[in-house]
Amino acid sequence: MEAQKVEMFIMSNSKFFESHQINGIRERLIAIDDSKWAMISTIQLKDPTTILIVSILAGSLGIDRFMLGDTGLGIGKLLTCGGLGIWTIVDWFSIQKATREKNMQKIQQFLY
Amino acid sequence: MINLKKFKYEPGEHEAETASNSYLMSLIAIIMGLPLPIINLIATLIFYLGNRKGTYFVRWHCTQALLSQTSMLFINSYGFWWTISIIFSDENISNNYIAYIFATLIFNVTEFIATIYTAIKTRNGIHVEWWFYGTLTTLICKSGK
Repeated sequence: MEAQKVEMFIMSNSKFFESHQINGIRERLIAIDDSKWAMISTIQLKDPTTILIVSILAGSLGIDRFMLGDTGLGIGKLLTCGGLGIWTIVDWFSIQKATREKNMQKIQQFLY
Repeated sequence: MINLKKFKYEPGEHEAETASNSYLMSLIAIIMGLPLPIINLIATLIFYLGNRKGTYFVRWHCTQALLSQTSMLFINSYGFWWTISIIFSDENISNNYIAYIFATLIFNVTEFIATIYTAIKTRNGIHVEWWFYGTLTTLICKSGK
């Protein structure tokens, strides 16, 4: 793929991935075929900051986990009132990383 | 008591953030879980389990946080139930009780300050080993992989 397109993609989406993953994504994007650009440019990535805000406000209902697509964990969190509040606290600190990893999984479907 | 050491490798930005979060999270859990002494241990354990497949640096610091919280549990639980028995039963406040609570308080404050210091240093990628806990963590946490 064209380097300019790749750089544009990286610039506008770098906050959705872990810093150490960016180089790998860049290299992979350059290597893949141009026909995949349409799909890659329309991927809906989750914003870690938005998920963190949801986690702080509605974490005890498991909404953050539902948004990420972890329905099972979301129901577990909902039924246990956020793991009696403990799971909610843990998720405040781990949800951003989980979001970035979900985004990575999503983009990997198109990269490989 | 606290040693700044060089880690086996230079930890990346994302590793430093997660490792620092393990200490910060235990601080928040202590404050939210007061006066129950077990909340912070459960929270640290969940965080540790969530990161058990993480990199060596992250696992090492999660383990150190977990070990320090475990020792806190025994000391604080004894003090907590002793206080409960004084409030709800015939037991009186003795000199032993005051001495124990005073010692517990000093231990907790020291641990609290050490945790804050470690969280700050770890966030900058500096490896912090605590007296006793650091050696124990190195024995438990295998670099493997």
